[in-house]
Amino acid sequence: MKADPKNVFTGSHYIDGDVACAYGAVAAGCKYLAGYPITPSTEAAEAFAVKAPYVGAQFIQMEDELGSIASVLGASWAGKKAMTITSGPGFSLMMETIGLGAATETPFVIINIQRAGPSTGVPTSTGQADMMQAKWGSHGDYEIIALAPESPQESFELTFKAFNLAERYRVPVMVMSDECVGHMAEKVVIPNAQELEVEPRRYFTGSKKDYKPFKRDKDLVPWMARAGAGYKLYLTGLTHGEDGRPIFDVKTFEMKSKSLRGSTNRYLVDKIRHNRDKIIKFEEHQTDDAEVVVVSYGISARVAIKAVKEARESGIKVGTLRLVTVWPFPEKRIEELAHQVKGFVVPEINYGQVVYEVDRCSQGRANVILVPHGGAAVHDSDDILGAIKQAATDHNPYDRILEYTTALEREVFGENMVSKI
Amino acid sequence: MIEVRFAGFGGQGIIRSGLILGRAVSIFDEKFATMNQNFGPEARGGACSSQIVLSDTKILYPYVTRTDYLVAMSQDAYSTFEHELKDEGTLIIDVDLVRANSNKKTYDIPSTRMAEELGNKIIANVVMLGFFTAISKVVSKEAMEKSIRESVPGRFIDLNLRAFNKGYDWGDKKLSEDN
Amino acid sequence: MDKIIEAFHDGINKSGRDREKMCMVTDIAYDPEVVDYLGVDLFHTNRGRAIAFATGMKLSNPNLILAVFIGDMATLGGNHFVHAARRNMDLFVVCVNDFRYRKVAAQETPGDFSRLEFSSYCSIEQPLNLPHLARSNGAVYVARWTALHHEDLINSMAEALPQAGFKLIEVISPKPELLEFFYLNSEIKHGEDTAKVGIEEDKKIVVGKFVERERETFIDAYNKQHYKVLGDKFIKIAAE
Repeated sequence: MKADPKNVFTGSHYIDGDVACAYGAVAAGCKYLAGYPITPSTEAAEAFAVKAPYVGAQFIQMEDELGSIASVLGASWAGKKAMTITSGPGFSLMMETIGLGAATETPFVIINIQRAGPSTGVPTSTGQADMMQAKWGSHGDYEIIALAPESPQESFELTFKAFNLAERYRVPVMVMSDECVGHMAEKVVIPNAQELEVEPRRYFTGSKKDYKPFKRDKDLVPWMARAGAGYKLYLTGLTHGEDGRPIFDVKTFEMKSKSLRGSTNRYLVDKIRHNRDKIIKFEEHQTDDAEVVVVSYGISARVAIKAVKEARESGIKVGTLRLVTVWPFPEKRIEELAHQVKGFVVPEINYGQVVYEVDRCSQGRANVILVPHGGAAVHDSDDILGAIKQAATDHNPYDRILEYTTALEREVFGENMVSKI
Repeated sequence: MIEVRFAGFGGQGIIRSGLILGRAVSIFDEKFATMNQNFGPEARGGACSSQIVLSDTKILYPYVTRTDYLVAMSQDAYSTFEHELKDEGTLIIDVDLVRANSNKKTYDIPSTRMAEELGNKIIANVVMLGFFTAISKVVSKEAMEKSIRESVPGRFIDLNLRAFNKGYDWGDKKLSEDN
Repeated sequence: MDKIIEAFHDGINKSGRDREKMCMVTDIAYDPEVVDYLGVDLFHTNRGRAIAFATGMKLSNPNLILAVFIGDMATLGGNHFVHAARRNMDLFVVCVNDFRYRKVAAQETPGDFSRLEFSSYCSIEQPLNLPHLARSNGAVYVARWTALHHEDLINSMAEALPQAGFKLIEVISPKPELLEFFYLNSEIKHGEDTAKVGIEEDKKIVVGKFVERERETFIDAYNKQHYKVLGDKFIKIAAE
């Protein structure tokens, strides 16, 4: 289905990443945004709120983030594409209901403009330390999809894509932007509506009495129904069968039968894992002959390119792999590369999150060097260059993950900061 | 690559200046411009700056490191950011608001006073943008005028363009004095 | 509990509202048979978030009729309660006040007032006066009954359901062997000032319809304001 031209602000804009997220959402047909103001995400909510009444969308400032996310789930079941926008503290508050969203397989989008530090941190500065929280934040077992934009242009594109993925797989999708991208203004080109393919909601089309909210098609994704349309829906966060009604049976936790009847818990992870090749997107450059590959995402991937160019100029065979979808993680590709390279360099604005995934997938075949950053700024590309050089020379698989000592840390803490994590 | 910082305090239109310049360069001059804003956790009224990186190719590092141009509209802004100006960089100040003592090339303009003469000191930043455009030549005058048209509400366009041109002419005059 | 669902069933009938458009949103699990019995959709959300969930539903499809059943005196999610009332969100809220958490022995809710037997020792806290909270924040309909005031409860539900705005009915429903005690120890005072209906030990429980008034709902106010500012450019929220 093509995007509705009314929703697509075609043309060249000079806007920041936050606003680009809002425009991406509107273009995707998002009709409901509930949020509570929090720096550095407010510009996104504001931009949506300004456009909402022109496109038949609703913006509501809820009383808190707990209410925001709950109302987003409600809006989704009432038939609208819905999202919330937040940052660190608000993201934490939403965790319980994200679990409800995962369990009830509700399509919705969360935009998290990440800020620095735990707790209140540095509200006006950047960070990438919510990546594991995005994956594991709510209790219990489930899978979500998370995307990481590197520019305002990509903020538009990935927010748009997030809605398509949410509808396609009936899953919460997170756009893990950060303050730097969020507050960075650049040219954003929004194409014509005809060039934007929108995933419509996959409504059940059979007879109402046959509808089961968790009965799956062959790619394991169940069909949606509208609330208040006579389906006698029963939806619960309790573990449930395909009719949505609770079952408390050991069989529901491990489905042994090969038939598609049975537990939801198994499917919550399987519907993403079985479809991961269709979901996962990453960008590779110069990896053909690479001895070192820089694996990164979001703004860090962008900053790393400078270091990669300099390293190539000095004769080091280095390539890049930029994660566009961080979750699910491209395990297979990292594993393949691990056979080829001496080492991976992983710059991220935290003290080690996605780097563990890289190490897990490389299975000790390659060194993995983390270039850490405490937040509030982006990496100095010289640090990434230093780590690339180190990865190109040292090769001791037993080292596993090594933490690179950045220039700033050397200055503050002295020479002997290098540690294994 | 050219790095520019506008600095002053909240309410002077510092962020808007950055957006106007960025829009002019990236949309109308069709080059690359990345604008980033800085403010402390206490957002409004305090120190405020916007940084713009201009380039012919995609910008990888989004912040300024060594600025080519510092436009300072408060004493605080001057003393905070003067040191990051390159040795061959250019300092541009509002002569009534900043007392500069810099060994770097300096141009001054009474932008706030000129804006008041035009009827509203709120457009001092636009006078300053005109001045900056003439001095720096990093962006075309036409692109800036188009950008201003797109960036301010309709009824203020004329006033803003007059302010811009007033600053631009002052810059032209300063440059010819130099030569 | 069965009594309340029964009253709700009859209340819907009496109100003449369309069951198919009705969504029941709860924050504890109800037996799935409730869906078959009532003929509505049921959404069991996580604890405390029912009102917020229902808010999202109402705003996304104004044709829906939202009945929210909460069970802990709006303690988890009390903020949603206050703000939904303040916004006059079009929700019909039933708070089942059973003074304690049924399946968790000896933990009292903030509705508990007993010094006697509900908690391990006794509740030392002042019980929450939910009708007063609702009224002072702008609810358009506020009533309280015990589960044994069956006919009154049906009538109250039938009366409240068609009204536009935030409606609250508190239903006193402790464990079955105590129901009659509460029924007998209650007195009906329609129109009573909600400041005076707090439940206290050694005093009769005041039941009845305390508030019935008209106030512009959130959606009406939203539409009116946006028409005023944007005129024909404004596109109203409609069901998909």
